[in-house]
This record gives sequence, structure tokens and C-alpha cells, in this order.
Amino acid sequence: MAPEAVLSLKGVSYTYPGSEFPALSQIDLNIRRGEIVLVTGPAGAGKTTLCLAASGILYHDYGGTLKGSIAILGKDIRDYPGMAGIGREVGVVFDDAEAQLIFSTVEEEVASGLENLGLSRDEMHRRFHTVMEATGISDLADRAPHTLSGGQKQRVAIAATLALGTGILILDEPTAELDAAATATITDLLLRLSEEGVTVLIVEQKLNDLARIAGRTILIEGGAVVKKRITKTVLGRPGDSFRPPVPSQESVTTPIISIRGLTHHYEGVAALKGVDLEITSGEIVAIIGENGSGKTTLIKHLNGLLRPTEGSVLVDGLDATSAPTAELARHVGLVFQNPDTMLFAETVGDEVAFGLENIDPGHLCAEKVDAALQEVGLLHRKAVYPRALSRGERQRLAVACVIAMKPRVIALDEPTTGLDAQESAEIMETLGRLRRDGHTIIMVSHDMHLVEDCADRIVEMKDGRIVPGKRTPEEGPCPRSCSMSPGRASFTASTRSPN
Amino acid sequence: MQYVTREGIFHRLHPLTKLIFVIVVVILAVLTSDTAMLAVLTGLVLATAAVAGLARDLLRQVPLLIVLAASLLILTILISPDGVTLGYLVPAAVPVVGGIFPITAGAVDLALAMSLRFTAMIFAFQALVISTQPRELVYVMDYLRVPVDYTLMFLIALRFIPSLQLEGRRISEAQLARAYNPGRGPVGKIRGLVPILVPLIVNSLSKATVLGLTIDLRGYRSGMRTPMRNLTPGRADIIGFCCIGLLITGYLALLVL
Repeated sequence: MAPEAVLSLKGVSYTYPGSEFPALSQIDLNIRRGEIVLVTGPAGAGKTTLCLAASGILYHDYGGTLKGSIAILGKDIRDYPGMAGIGREVGVVFDDAEAQLIFSTVEEEVASGLENLGLSRDEMHRRFHTVMEATGISDLADRAPHTLSGGQKQRVAIAATLALGTGILILDEPTAELDAAATATITDLLLRLSEEGVTVLIVEQKLNDLARIAGRTILIEGGAVVKKRITKTVLGRPGDSFRPPVPSQESVTTPIISIRGLTHHYEGVAALKGVDLEITSGEIVAIIGENGSGKTTLIKHLNGLLRPTEGSVLVDGLDATSAPTAELARHVGLVFQNPDTMLFAETVGDEVAFGLENIDPGHLCAEKVDAALQEVGLLHRKAVYPRALSRGERQRLAVACVIAMKPRVIALDEPTTGLDAQESAEIMETLGRLRRDGHTIIMVSHDMHLVEDCADRIVEMKDGRIVPGKRTPEEGPCPRSCSMSPGRASFTASTRSPN
Repeated sequence: MQYVTREGIFHRLHPLTKLIFVIVVVILAVLTSDTAMLAVLTGLVLATAAVAGLARDLLRQVPLLIVLAASLLILTILISPDGVTLGYLVPAAVPVVGGIFPITAGAVDLALAMSLRFTAMIFAFQALVISTQPRELVYVMDYLRVPVDYTLMFLIALRFIPSLQLEGRRISEAQLARAYNPGRGPVGKIRGLVPILVPLIVNSLSKATVLGLTIDLRGYRSGMRTPMRNLTPGRADIIGFCCIGLLITGYLALLVL
């Protein structure tokens, strides 16, 4: 171990309990005080496992077979008295932000760790306000965590960890759900912390600004380090490879969705404030905006999951303010951000068949199931247990479940969150084909590059309203978002793990 | 059932005062089977909540309490017939099976007493939970020397109630978007639960690991807890204790009389 290394992994291999194959193989990594090390790699490469190993969680909490040595501040993790002891030195932000929010208000969430450090009340207040401001969540202090958007939850989880003031931070995809502005805030904050001597280990698939601040970027694949130091030129943009074909002329003239004066209040918060939007048939429309701007609330009105407090919503000739959700589901398919909210069946085929059975009971057509799976490239996985699929495959299965029902409109909420560049490209290719077949696609995303690459029109939301002015990708995105995302990782098919 | 940010008397009370209030209500409710006394006790708890601006939150539990009371009534009619017969669960006019389950005054009285007892206890506990931040409850339990494992179990249980509700709603929305039909008839309804329950259980289990780790990493076993908010008892607590004292005195007086 190098003398100045504060986090050191030497010959670390790990096999999960019940698994035959190692998730990590012979990892050597020394991180110096104040260094930011970025670990990247395709989905299933072992990035999360590396975070769990480095923080001592695998040894103290998971069991399994751990070989090699891991030292934190020169002390072997086996010599720490459990995670409570390691927690004094290491702060960990997990990829599932929601699961690490324990309390009933944001203020309580961030203060909770501070109260266990034996600090004076003045010091606690000072540290609390510093962290809340630095992470940009001061205005959310009284909100209940469960009412926040995905990106806001992620910032609260980061703030609660930063408040602990540990010298080492291990962050698992901390910006996956953040918009460009919030990503820049967190990136700048991490840079400042590293200058103050905090050591940071981050794993992330979409590198964005993180590559800019990282001292080293390491590529792992199949549980092993394949490149110890990758340069920023490797991290170029994927280009227009998945730009969808332009729809036929007649399909872009008929309006299929018409929203007028849509207002929605939720638990005393005005989530939408008079939204007007018209979408023509065959368009790919991207809805962008900062976390909590009302994007998800808007698309939930398209199939009756939410009903307006005021205003009208017409979808494919149906009044979505009163039509039953079961009826609207035939016209509008909604793919949720997390596919795990819907997967319950024993096989991939049964999962797709569920929706078809619902809209046409007793007339299940096996060809329709196969066609939907073929469309998303999962036909060969038809007999597999859905939760055994990779994250990207599960996302594609969620798309298959919706397109099997042949809705004219397909709305997707953050369809590429948690996916690597290759998986994102596959989803986008699928959407391109669906548009060619006459579907209208509405996509909520905070990934500006994705949106630029594939949308016909970009609708920007802010504070529950649509920002005036029609924007096409050729005109460019809003200056604020664009300037904050210089590039993202691109992994060719050859660098993907074979999972 | 979770903390709600609000300005009210109950929110201003020291968490220990509120905890003692709940314990006193539970003890008083358990010690008597007199329906009149239990009705007064329930009324007092509700009145206290109303003064603190929490009545509407408590009354949301009424549908659940009605189901509970109806279940208790059927149970007592079936297993504890006592006193004057007021009628029959199956009317006497029905051939063969008519009049087999007599509804007795004793059974109704017992069901009423048990329902009121549960109502008083649930109302008091809910008033505590919605007016006290979980970390303050943790602080009080530490102060009372409750072992840290039990405190953390309590914390996780409190956290999981709203979390399960939220996850359930999210899963329900995802299935409704696939034209999910909740099912008809008893068998259909049970079968219809599968698309909701399977993801709910699997997702909750996966979140539980991260939750446990987060609690450890935030130092909840450090034993060095210092509340960021000043939790010194104030004038409201003195008034609170006087009210609790009056409640106990009145209760004892009624028992003696």
C-alpha cells in the first residue's frame, strides 16, 4: 500500500453468496487523500459491487467469499467493529436514493446523522445550513422525502451523507437522476471537497461533468479493471447513431394530444400551473426540465392516473379527465422509470401477456407477445424469470409490455436512467422503429444529449409550467442545460460485459 | 401514518410528555371494560387532538375502526353470548338455520368496549406519531434506556408504514397503466392482488438492506445522540402533565364511585 493511500484495495476478488462466478476479480486500487477516482463501465461490470467492497459492506454485511485486503486509512476493514465503526470514516451514497431516506422531513433527514456525532448544537446548525445550501435543497427543508422527485431525493441522500463530514466518500451513481444544473452543483461541490482533502470514489455510467473533475477514470468490465487510466477522448459522445427516421408527412399533421390549462395540486403543492400542450401524431416529443418541475405529473394525466384539478386533457379523441384508466391504457402506454414497479410474473412471456389479457380477456394471441419481445430484442429470453434480467433488459421488457397492447401513444418516464450508453442506444432504436410504425412517442428525460439526438421537439418545463417557445433539436437545447454537459461515456458493443 | 409538519399544541410538547400521555391512555383503556368510561376516554383523546389541530388526521382512521368494530362484534356474538337476546344474526324466520346465532346484550357490550378501547389507543398513538419527528422518538427512547436494537426496530417499522403505502400506490399505478383489473368476486380479488403484492414484497426486501446500512452509517449506534432542536420541556409540558394528572384523578374517582 502506498503510504499516502487512504483507501486501498489489494488483489480483491469477491463472489456473492450462492453464486459460482466472482463479481470482482483481482482489483488493485490505491486512492490518495483528496483524490477523486471515477470508476465507469457497462451495466453489470461490477461497479456497485466495487463500492460495496471498498466501503467494507461486503465483508461486514453480505457474507460471500472475499479475497485480498481492503484498508481504510491504513486499517484493514476486518479490524473495524462493523459498519457503525466504518461509518465514522466513510460516507456512502447508494444508487437507490429512496431506500436511504428514513425520516419524515428533509430537515430531519440531513440532521439525523449530525445528531449522532456528539457535536455542539451551534456546530450542528452551521454544518446543516452549509450542506443544505451547497446541495441546493434549502427550499425543500420542510418537505416530506416521499413527495420529492427522483433527482431531489438523490440530492437529499447526498446531503445527508455529506453532513456526516467523513474524510472518504463512496458514491454509487450519485447523478443518475439529476438534471444538468443539479449535476453541476454536485460536481462542483465534490471538487471543492477534494481540494479540502476529502477522498472521493465515484462509480457512474454517464460521466458528464464527473470526468472533468476526476483525477483518474478507471474502466472496469466483468468485475476486473480493464483500463487503469482512460483519457477524456475515449469519453466522446455516441453521435447520431440512433437518430430515428423522419415520420411520413401525413402523420405529423393530426393532433393526438391536446392539453389546455392543466393545473394539478398535490398535497398542497401546485405541481402543474396551467399547462397548454399539443402533440401531433407521429412526433417524438421530449419533455425536459429540472428535477421537480412537473414532468412526471404531466404524463400521468395522459392515461388518467392523475386527474386535473383544473383544465382539459384530450388523448386520441378521449377525454382523459374522466375516461377510465383501463380504457385510456388502450390508447396511451406509460412506461415507468423503474421497471421493477411492474414485474411480477414467472416468465418474460407471461409478463407481456398480462396487459394483453387485461384489454382482451380470453383472446390471448401468442404472436402478439412474440412480436413485442422481438421488437425489443428479448424473444430469446421469453422463458426467463423477469427479475433475473439485467437492468437494461428489464427496461426493454417494460417497453415490450406496453407496446404489445398497441397504444397509439407511448409515454416513457426517464427511459434510460440506470442504463449504460449501449443500452440507452438500444432503447432509442426501439423507439425510432415504433415511431416509424406510426406511434407517437413522449419521453421525459433530464439527459439533454439523448433528447438532442432523438427528439423532433423539446418541451421544457419549469416550476409546473411549460417554458414558452417551441424548440427543435436543431435550434439547440436551453443554454443552461447544454453548457453543463460537455459529454458522456460511450461504450461500444465490444466493451460490454456478456451478461 | 407519519409525521406532519404543522404548528399546534401537540407539536410543541416535549416528546416524552406525549409518550407518557399515550402510555397513560393505554393503561386506562386496558384497566376498565366499562363502555361509558371508555367512551369518555376516547372522547377526551379526540378532543385533545382537535385542540391540537389533528382531529381530521385521526378521523381518517374511522373507516378502518368501523371494520374493526364490525369484526369484533361478529366475533363476540359467535364466541361470547351473554345476557338478554336482542335478535339473531340469522333471522329466526329463516327455515332450518334461523336463530342459530343469538345477538346478546353481553356480546354487544363487550364488542363495544373492545372497539372503544382500540379507538382510544389508536387515536392516542396516531396523535403521537403525526406530531413527533421519528428522531425525537429515538431520542426519548434512548433517554428511557430502551436497548438500541429495539429503538432502531421501532424506527424502521415507523418508516415502513408510509413507504409501503407509497410503493403500493406506485405499483398499482404501473399495473393500472397496463389496464390491470383488480378482479371480481372473492377468488378474483385474491388473484388480482398478485400483480400488486409480488413486486411490493420483492421491492421492499431489497430496500430493507440499504435502509439498515444507512442507519448504521449515520451513526445510530454511536450512543452520542444530541438533538439539534432544543428539546427542553416548557410551559406547554407543565400544562400537559396537569391534564394527564386530571385525567388519572378523574378516572380513579369514577372507579371509586
